[in-house]
Amino acid sequence: MEYSKYHKNIVQNLLDGKFLLRTEPEFLELKEKEEFYVGFFKASFDYDLKVSSEYAYLISQETTEMLSRDVCIFFALMCYEMDRDGKNFIDELNYSEFEMEAVENYFRNSAYIDLIHANKQLKDKDSRRNFINMLNRRNIIEKKSEEKFVFTPAYKVFIDFARDLARRKMEEQQV
Amino acid sequence: MKTEPKSVIYFLWNYYEPLVELFEDQDREGFIKSDMIKAVCEKQRHDIEQKLVDYKVLKKINNDYEFRSIFYSFLEFILNEFKPLLPETIEKYHYSIGELFRKIRKGLHDEKFIIIQRVSDLISETRDFTESVENNSIKLLAKTRELKANLEKIDYREKIHKASEWIEYYILPMNKILDVHQNNSIASKLFEIANFANEKRLLVSDEQIRVQFEKLYFFLLSTNDELLRQSKILTNELLPLIERIRTESIILSGFIELLKDPFDVTPPPLLKASRDLVYNKHMMLNTKEFWEQFEVAEKVYINPPPVVSNPWIFDKDAYRTKLNAKLPVDNFFKWAYDTLEEEDQFVPTERFFSLTTLLFEDDLTLEFPDKNSPIKVRTEEMTYRVPKIKVDKYGIF
Repeated sequence: MEYSKYHKNIVQNLLDGKFLLRTEPEFLELKEKEEFYVGFFKASFDYDLKVSSEYAYLISQETTEMLSRDVCIFFALMCYEMDRDGKNFIDELNYSEFEMEAVENYFRNSAYIDLIHANKQLKDKDSRRNFINMLNRRNIIEKKSEEKFVFTPAYKVFIDFARDLARRKMEEQQV
Repeated sequence: MKTEPKSVIYFLWNYYEPLVELFEDQDREGFIKSDMIKAVCEKQRHDIEQKLVDYKVLKKINNDYEFRSIFYSFLEFILNEFKPLLPETIEKYHYSIGELFRKIRKGLHDEKFIIIQRVSDLISETRDFTESVENNSIKLLAKTRELKANLEKIDYREKIHKASEWIEYYILPMNKILDVHQNNSIASKLFEIANFANEKRLLVSDEQIRVQFEKLYFFLLSTNDELLRQSKILTNELLPLIERIRTESIILSGFIELLKDPFDVTPPPLLKASRDLVYNKHMMLNTKEFWEQFEVAEKVYINPPPVVSNPWIFDKDAYRTKLNAKLPVDNFFKWAYDTLEEEDQFVPTERFFSLTTLLFEDDLTLEFPDKNSPIKVRTEEMTYRVPKIKVDKYGIF
């Protein structure tokens, strides 16, 4: 069997916990051979490959729950503060370029400041910068410069999580 | 009683504010309570209750009142405060317009005056229908924008509920009424009438009837344009806006659940970063990320637990016993200060003054040995200059 020139990158990036994005040639290659790669990661590492029309990523039985929770908290705070700011946060996540200073302002003036201070990854400006760099490494955001970034479609994983959580809670209340 | 039209207008002008208050009351409650009228009269220092009835502004129902529909509509119009009508209420025009059209089509050989009257009524009904649709769009759009701005600080769940209700009960049925492509919609009926009127304005032999059909035709042309505009507002503006409110509110309500207690929720699974070789360029950052897994974050409570304080209560009897045991006391204020300081290192003013009330007990005599040399007492809040008071038991013991 012949492997494509992107094979190594696909495997390496996904194993690094990165999201592969529609804009990357690796994603197109993966999408074309989706069935093969789903089997490959399951057989080789026991990882599940999730592929949507816009992104692909790996999940494992043993997960980085703390990291995922912090990413969810980051999105929750951003969306909550953007809504308070009168913005359509879905449009913002889809199309806007974010300045680090504006994000800083959201966190500094947040109604959830106690929660932010208690979170090691989000507690202060330096931690938040490191956190945002981590999001960049995982392709959840794309840094345009040191001071600016945009969200990649990977944000939808966390938005879908919030939507499912709300629906579950509503169903629980109805029961 | 027949009233002068000018008097009614003058009355409306003169009592505009109270009338608006009454209008808002009816808007809220569905009727105007008698007490409300009394309150308005009291505010105006003038009994307008009888005039409201005489001028036929209000109608009495048992002990309460309501606006006559003409005045209610007038106030709705000038205040731009339309109550959105349920689409099933607007549906009534389907029947009245359809029936008039049926009679016009079948009765083309009837008396001239009745044909002219029917066409005129059809214009009037269509105008009422268009106004209802327009008012509904204006109000729904205003309410939706209010909901988006959330000035009333409505809970996200309530927002989802409201948005869903408006879509189900107002916007989708309104869309059906305005959809030209639906055979049984009012819009398609008006389209059919416009075609008929266009034909008749050219073919009917009687000039007066021809003119009337021409009037109907051009009126319906502008009406159909207006309905198309309203339909576009519904589908292009209102529906997406309200759908967005619903989607955003669902997402936010999920995130707020998460923020309430992040550790009570299982987040979406992500890959645990694999161990890297030490010469990997991401080693440092990946190691950091790896170790962060083991950092246990503290649980956070958003609402700080209430501060439990032990409130000080002035137990007069206890302090009186203490004072009696020390009598005679040469300097009352010094005793009071020392007693409080013994209990707690801080002496708040409130406690100090509470002890001062012991001076007014009947079984004590007070002497002021040296009125011109007050002593200083420093409480927690400030320093007081108080006279030296000697206290002893009253009578002979």
